[in-house]
Amino acid sequence: MHSPELLKGTLQTIVLKVLKDHGRMYGYEITQRVKELSGETILLTEGALYPALHKLEAEGMLTTETETIGKRVRKYYSLTPQGRSLVKERVQEFVGFIKTMGNVLQVNVG
Amino acid sequence: MKLTEDHIAYIVKDLNYRGIVAEGVQEELIDHICTATESEMKAGLRFIDAYHRVVESFGRTAGLRETQRQVLHEETKPKGMLKNYITVALRNLRKHRFYSFINVLGLSIGLAVCLIIVLFVLNELSFDRHFATAQRVYRVRSEIVFGGSEGRFLYAPAPLGPTLAQEFPEVEAAVRFRDRGSYLVKRTDENIKEPRTIWVDKDFFKVFPVPLVAGNPATALAEPNTVAISQSLAEKLFPGEEALGKTVVLDNELNVKVNAVYTDFPSQTHFHFNLLISLEGDPEAQQNRWYSNNFQTYFLLRPGANIQGVEAKLPNLVVERAMPQLKEVLGNDFSMEKFRAAGNRMAYFVQPLTDVHLYSHYTGEFEPNFDITYIYLFGAIAVFILMLACINFMNLSTARSANRAKEVGIRKVMGSFRSHLMRQFLTESVLLSFLSLLLALAIAYMLLPVFNDLSGRVLTLPFGSRWFYVIFLLAGILVGVAAGVYPSFFLSAFRPVQVLKGQVALGMKSGLIRSALVVFQFTVSIFLVIGTLAVYQQLNYIQTKKLGFNKDQVLVIDDAYALGSNRGAFKNEVMSSGKMERATMSGYLPVEGGFRSDNPWWIEGRDPAMQENLVSIQNWRVDHEYVKTLGMSIVQGRDFSDEFPSDSSAVILNEAAVKTFNFPGEVIGSRIATFADDGNEGPDRNKLQVLTVIGVVENFHFQSLKENFSPVMMFLSKRAGGPICFRFKSADAQEVIRIVEKQWKEMAPGQPFTYYFLDERFSRMYSAERQLGEVFGVFSILAVLIACLGLFALTAFTAEQRTKEIGIRKVLGASITSIVVLLSKEFGKLILIAFALAAPLAWLGINWWLKDYSYKTEIGVGLFLLSGLVAFTVAWLTMSFQSFRAAASDPVKSLRSE
Repeated sequence: MHSPELLKGTLQTIVLKVLKDHGRMYGYEITQRVKELSGETILLTEGALYPALHKLEAEGMLTTETETIGKRVRKYYSLTPQGRSLVKERVQEFVGFIKTMGNVLQVNVG
Repeated sequence: MKLTEDHIAYIVKDLNYRGIVAEGVQEELIDHICTATESEMKAGLRFIDAYHRVVESFGRTAGLRETQRQVLHEETKPKGMLKNYITVALRNLRKHRFYSFINVLGLSIGLAVCLIIVLFVLNELSFDRHFATAQRVYRVRSEIVFGGSEGRFLYAPAPLGPTLAQEFPEVEAAVRFRDRGSYLVKRTDENIKEPRTIWVDKDFFKVFPVPLVAGNPATALAEPNTVAISQSLAEKLFPGEEALGKTVVLDNELNVKVNAVYTDFPSQTHFHFNLLISLEGDPEAQQNRWYSNNFQTYFLLRPGANIQGVEAKLPNLVVERAMPQLKEVLGNDFSMEKFRAAGNRMAYFVQPLTDVHLYSHYTGEFEPNFDITYIYLFGAIAVFILMLACINFMNLSTARSANRAKEVGIRKVMGSFRSHLMRQFLTESVLLSFLSLLLALAIAYMLLPVFNDLSGRVLTLPFGSRWFYVIFLLAGILVGVAAGVYPSFFLSAFRPVQVLKGQVALGMKSGLIRSALVVFQFTVSIFLVIGTLAVYQQLNYIQTKKLGFNKDQVLVIDDAYALGSNRGAFKNEVMSSGKMERATMSGYLPVEGGFRSDNPWWIEGRDPAMQENLVSIQNWRVDHEYVKTLGMSIVQGRDFSDEFPSDSSAVILNEAAVKTFNFPGEVIGSRIATFADDGNEGPDRNKLQVLTVIGVVENFHFQSLKENFSPVMMFLSKRAGGPICFRFKSADAQEVIRIVEKQWKEMAPGQPFTYYFLDERFSRMYSAERQLGEVFGVFSILAVLIACLGLFALTAFTAEQRTKEIGIRKVLGASITSIVVLLSKEFGKLILIAFALAAPLAWLGINWWLKDYSYKTEIGVGLFLLSGLVAFTVAWLTMSFQSFRAAASDPVKSLRSE
């Protein structure tokens, strides 16, 4: 399990990238997908995920649609065109960061 | 494994119980938890265990709530909310159109007034500062007490200017001004009258650097018979031509060369001369007489020099230069000590150029100046009016709070923070303030021409200035916040439980602060109304006061000198028309602007060297018809008459002069003497001029009623020049003018015909008072209007609040009158309190203003009562309109609606 401290700055990047690769998703699905991709080493907490989703929505990066399944209402998130361009930016930024960290810490990264 | 309906219902209920209620968050979390529970159940857990595990992974109730709080926090960040605030604000303003309208109207009137006053004050403060030298230019003023008369002048002796420039190391240059009245200017035959004419020294452009259109500033006025003219005069004289180097004729006799054309002085200058004539070679300017003061003298300090150094050396000049000359004129036993012992004084001071417009009120000003106290007064009024408008806003907002209390309660229950509500209310008030500002701009734009007319200024809205927009934005926010901060604190502090129970609404009606604010509004309004009435009463008193002469039905023909030798013939021709009663020729008219000349006289036989024997008295040269034409009344002795040839050495005194001379015996027949003066060489000590008193006229006012009567003597003179006055019979003044003008055109072709009526000129002496009265009047009307707007809305609101009560009262048999009284009573009381506060303040203010006047009207109780009555009536009418509407409405409707 990775430390939540390390994850803090990358939450938005993760959410955006996952949404880009999978199209529309709902909150629980996102946590599951991230868990799967990380080999169960990254567990997004709901307390961090939902505020982040709502923030991105308020900033116009995400749009939502709701579906009613019986008594349950499911809210799906997907990227707006603006969000789509942000993904690229964020991922590049993160790759750059990893490289820099590699140099700083004198280790070889992927 | 799918959850059953019961399971979902359980989860919904449980989450609700744990406080997850926020719209948007609730549903999402339910779905999340359901899905997570399902997947736990797939691993083999029972529903309840799976559910608890999921909830635990959220951090139980605290974690769930924290998640909810964080989501809400993200959603309500100001950035996202601003749009929402504005939408809600607009919706609210639209919903309460009436209150919004009153708010915007009141606030925009207040802001417009404020804007105009700020423009005006800035304009007044910028006077003369446009000269690059403004901070280094000073002028000399004098205080002279001599022979019982006292004067504060801007006049200095002719040699003072050159002395300053040559002998004072601190002074870079000095320039003297000599005012010799208006001049007729022509190229060939058609004369233009130029009242803004002045004779100046050659260094004028050094001290007052105005840009020249043509010519060299250093040499422009260096030679005799040269002039510099303003661009506007150049365009009048030489339309479409080069003016430089051309010759013009002044007063039909003096040929002068145009040596420079300068751009007109900006309106914020304390003089606006169009024609500057060089004093070079002028005999009067070259005289070395230190006791005769005729020149306004300005000087330019060297950079870094100290003005105190100059001022400290001025008393020495009096001792070293003026006193020896006085001794020569007045006799050998004259001495400084005796001069001072007799209460006489001669002193010079300096005055910075930048003080001229606001701090200077002396004899010899080129144009009427403004007064710094009025600047403060106007500033205070602007602030007060703005406060009145802001108070309306606060009152209406807090009053309406009862209605909005429910909104606040529900918003809070729905999870709104106090900061959100405050932001919401502030957004509303800032929005209103911006709407008002826009409207205020429009109002100010329309009012400015009227104000310019009233104040004689040329103010414009500075649309071109970037600062204007910055200040505009800041003002919008500031006023919005100032007006909105109290309501927003007040409203957002409501406790939802109480509000929704309906408890807060009761507390509102007795709002102490609101009453205090209404009292304040009406105190200011009543104060201004009383002030206006007082100013008008004083004006009226001045203008209808018995002046000691009859100013009505007198036509004055200025510039009669343009007739040359035809003056007498002109007068006789006009008289023969039969429309005139009498005519007289004299420049000594009992209004400001007439000629004045002072001279020391004494009772014949007494020693003129004794200071206490001298009486400084105005010498007026008149003709036989003077006293009759102006309708003065002889109280003792007789008028001048053709039947007595000896009248050429006779004199008529006014009562003030008789009192000052204090004749030992009979006044009529007494003789008074002075040294003869032929006008050029100065008084001749060896020759006396002696006059016999033949009559005494009743004191008459010949200057502003701020002054007391001064001694005047009148004697016949062949040299009596100046304008011709006609007292006319006809009520049709236009016809009289036509006759005179026709005659003028015949006898003085090519000369401009100018005239005025004596009463008009007389009332012009009080133009400052009239302006003050008018400005005050406008302000007080606006103040009352704003206060009443607020009152109007407040009563409307109260009536609305009490609809049910009124309905029940009516059902139980209350009459319309009793309901109107009921509704107006509360505010009526407030206005009475306001009156009680305003009256003493106004009384103090009026007394302070009137202290400058020697003759002042009695400000009686009636004036105060009248103002109180006016305020009360207007307020009551405002209130009763609303109250009546409420009272007259059908109780069935009002009772059914709630």
